Amino acid sequence: MDILLSQLFTGLSIGSVLLLVALGLAIIYGAMGVINLAHGEFVMLGAYATWLLQSTLGLSLLPCLFLVFLMVAAAGWAVERTVVRFLYRRPLDTILATWGVGIMLQQAVRLAAGADLRYVETPNPLSGSIDLAGVAIPSYRLFVLAFAAALLGVTWFVVQRTEFGMKLRAVTQNREMASCTGIDSARVFSLTFAFGSGLAGLAGALVAPIKSVAPDMGTNFVVDAFMVVVVGGVGSLFGTVASSGLLGGGTAGFAFLLNDTLAKALVFLGVIVLVRFRPQGLFAATGRR
Amino acid sequence: MTLTRRHFLKSAAIAGAAGTAASPQFWIKNSGMAWAAGKEIKVGVLFSLTGTTAVVEKSLHNATLMAIDEINASGGINGMKVVPVIEDPASDPATFAEKANKLVLNDRCATVFGSYTSASRKAVLPVFEKRKNLYWYPTLYEGRECSKSVIYTGAVPNQQQKEFIPWLVRNFGKRFYLVGSNYIYPKEENNVCKILLKELGGEVVGEEYVPLGHSEFGSVLNKFRETKPDVIFSTVVGDSVIALHKQYKAAGFSPDRMPMASLTTSEVEIAAMGGEYAAGHFTSAPYFMGHESAENAAFIEGYQRRFGKDSVTHFVSEAAYFQVHLFRQAVEKLGTGDITPTNIRDAAGGQEIKAPQGRVKVDADTLHCYLWPKIGQAQANGQFKVIQQSADWVKPEPYWAYPGLSCTRDGLKGA
Amino acid sequence: MPRITSAAQFLPYILFCGAILAVPSIVSDPFLLNKFARYLALGLAAAALALSWGYCGILNLGQGVGFGLGAYAMAMHLKLKTSPVHTGTAGLPDFMVWNNLDHLPWFWQPFHSGLFALAAAVLLPALVAALLGWFMFRARIAGVYVAIITLAMLAVTNLLFVDQQAYTGGLNGITDLAWFEMGGVEFDPYSPAFYYLSAGCLAFFLMLGMVFTRSKAGLVLRAIGSGTDRVLFFGYDMASYQCLAFSLSASMAGVAGMLYAMVLEFASPTFMGVPISLSMVIWAAVGGRGSLLGATVGAILVNGTQGSLSETFLDSWQLILGALFILVVVFLPNGIAGLANSLGARLSGRARGMAARSAAPSALLNRR
Repeated sequence: MDILLSQLFTGLSIGSVLLLVALGLAIIYGAMGVINLAHGEFVMLGAYATWLLQSTLGLSLLPCLFLVFLMVAAAGWAVERTVVRFLYRRPLDTILATWGVGIMLQQAVRLAAGADLRYVETPNPLSGSIDLAGVAIPSYRLFVLAFAAALLGVTWFVVQRTEFGMKLRAVTQNREMASCTGIDSARVFSLTFAFGSGLAGLAGALVAPIKSVAPDMGTNFVVDAFMVVVVGGVGSLFGTVASSGLLGGGTAGFAFLLNDTLAKALVFLGVIVLVRFRPQGLFAATGRR
Repeated sequence: MTLTRRHFLKSAAIAGAAGTAASPQFWIKNSGMAWAAGKEIKVGVLFSLTGTTAVVEKSLHNATLMAIDEINASGGINGMKVVPVIEDPASDPATFAEKANKLVLNDRCATVFGSYTSASRKAVLPVFEKRKNLYWYPTLYEGRECSKSVIYTGAVPNQQQKEFIPWLVRNFGKRFYLVGSNYIYPKEENNVCKILLKELGGEVVGEEYVPLGHSEFGSVLNKFRETKPDVIFSTVVGDSVIALHKQYKAAGFSPDRMPMASLTTSEVEIAAMGGEYAAGHFTSAPYFMGHESAENAAFIEGYQRRFGKDSVTHFVSEAAYFQVHLFRQAVEKLGTGDITPTNIRDAAGGQEIKAPQGRVKVDADTLHCYLWPKIGQAQANGQFKVIQQSADWVKPEPYWAYPGLSCTRDGLKGA
Repeated sequence: MPRITSAAQFLPYILFCGAILAVPSIVSDPFLLNKFARYLALGLAAAALALSWGYCGILNLGQGVGFGLGAYAMAMHLKLKTSPVHTGTAGLPDFMVWNNLDHLPWFWQPFHSGLFALAAAVLLPALVAALLGWFMFRARIAGVYVAIITLAMLAVTNLLFVDQQAYTGGLNGITDLAWFEMGGVEFDPYSPAFYYLSAGCLAFFLMLGMVFTRSKAGLVLRAIGSGTDRVLFFGYDMASYQCLAFSLSASMAGVAGMLYAMVLEFASPTFMGVPISLSMVIWAAVGGRGSLLGATVGAILVNGTQGSLSETFLDSWQLILGALFILVVVFLPNGIAGLANSLGARLSGRARGMAARSAAPSALLNRR
């Protein structure tokens, strides 16, 4: 029983990390149709930004978060202005260009942050574990879970309830028409890309204390995150949540029953079958895909 | 129209093929050139500066260049300057092979220092074996190799485990959980571990392999929780080490009751996770930065002066450092005209040197090294405290787990 | 779109093939020959991708599957040919001995034959692609969903090859290989003989691809690439055509992988990794995805540049390379071939029609 419970929690925490990373991607891909292969590198930038803030200003993780969001969002904005904006009419080409961006970011960080590995400290009150029905649950994972949920709420609010969100939805549905009504669609796209990048940065800041901080840490995330977004249904936040949970739980479950390698393979096979039979995703949004 | 053109093309190709294949000149082209020209001897330095394993390999690169610097500062080898030819194999086996090719065939290096992963060593082996060149490999590895084109300065399983496992059983208990990355090195180390445990009456309660780069250890930790082993025997490598330690502590496990005993966790990984996560766990290796000796003090001082005062040395970078000095001793024995990779290899057999870990020797039979295994306990400051050192240097036995097989001067014998 | 079979279309291909086949008469350095042979193998992989991507809009991010299968098929054969002492009884490959296998698995047996290995390197990738293609295209999966499925397929294949160490050599792959031998010729990867093998394969497949794309089937494929609806309305069985192109492309990738394993003298799971598969897409994009020759040249150029950049700029070469990719993608959407085409068309005066025609497939497939 204990094992079942902690296994359930393991699934949830893997899912929450997937959700964190996929959220930004879901926004960028869902709204703009841009396939951002540099998304993993924005996650990495977030982790390094956190390290930078911690080691130079001595900030603890939580106060860092907002600054990290802004820093990585700025980087995202710059990438959108210099590269991505030329490619809105050629969405598949964004795969190639953003891959180039990813290579550059990785090596730039490798050169700038030096040869040694860096690490991010877990905030002290969250470093232990708490006892839940006889099961030791790492409190930081619990925090990540809660934070992912909160971030989801914020994102939903931004997209559905703010003026910016309304413009974004309008541009997503029909860019020309939206422009006719006076919406500055170029600006909306820039901001959206920055927002999505900022979310990736937050994900990086939050996973840094449980994983390692390395220039190539993003490559592991981007494929998984992409699968989450597509399985969930493009443009559907709820779908992204559901597929994070599904893939996270699946990975954890198979890993416990079999092993981690087979678990990954089985989950990918599942993705193939799901995409084949439901290319629109588990929960397809209406309107333009 | 098209047909005739293609016809023409075909016959042209055949004519060309026949013409060129007949002339043997492409074979002879390089053979007259000397390995050490004038006052210089060229050596290749082949560690990844970009890509996945760049972080660790950069430190090996640094240690190698530092040793070359030292040799040149003290007048070179018999008056010859050592000239490093540096290439970046980008953490990719295919690129390793490509660059090794270039160093051996194009740059005519008399020797190449390189590689961290087994996969990259395997990828360059054909180049060195078929071109009769010499590769120096500093990493601990799974053994079972008897190449006459490689000098191995890292530890093999018998050197890391023969004292470690009995010590663990004595101090913590007989029930082991084996966890490793999913490739040959962990599997082979675990084979050796199982043999040793069987002799001691120990028990393996679980064996688990995670994909390389794996960073979610929740399910593995739950298996620990369920089986309650006395010792976690870890051969997880790379970034996964960091995730494992962090999540281990966060899950409420403690090294006092269930320590992780590793063959792969070094100062580099600890610097990347923060000392508090590693504190209390054990590693067996021939070298720790915390080892006290005059040679080590000089090594650390020189390394930190060059590469930053917070940079760390570890058991692979130490080998990357002393193997260049072994190379120097070997070349010193040769006359300028005798310098060939094969002669350097023969001269290197039996060479001894005072390395930071203690006096090491190249075994002339196996071309592996006699080393000084130590057991270290990680401290919160990121260093290891050496709590036991073997009484004598330990002979390398790359085929220890395979009775009947032995590596000799003429290659592998037996079976 | 009229059927184009003019000699002018073939001329660049013939010149290129003539040029690569003439190389050994100028270059005799074994190091260079080996390097060029490797580039040509990668060129073939890029041409294979151009066939499925540029011509019929199937963006295959899992090109490494075919490439890797080809490489392993050949490596299995060459491994069985080496039998030094440490392979244990009856010439069992070393890694099998280490994984405690006591006899050769049944699916390794036929690889004793070189002909079988060759056939497997060509047909196995095609078979896998045909099955996957049938699975996808029957459901009219297209665009980015094809990219995702092929990417996931790549990940699965890679994981399985790394996991099944007793049969595949795991992460180290299959190493310590013999040289390929056929018809009394030994293909030492540093010899002109091997170079001719590599160049010959490339030339053969470029010509085959050229003929194929100019055939009726090729015409249908290009129509699919520029818009699926029309093809469906005309009653074509679209899925079959897509499967055909997808399989042919996988087959070419298999041959490329086979050559790659021979030239490097090992096969590694990195051959079926995400980085090399994405690199192939980049090569095709740089050279021009709408042209087999363009993609080939792109692969050769990018690899050559990469090699020399990394020698000159030890740790900043990836920055330069990344920037180059971005510039090409943004400013040269049809790659070098596109540039050459429009320049050529402008020079020859027959400007408009030609340029529009050659730019058509790739420009259109980008439309959503």
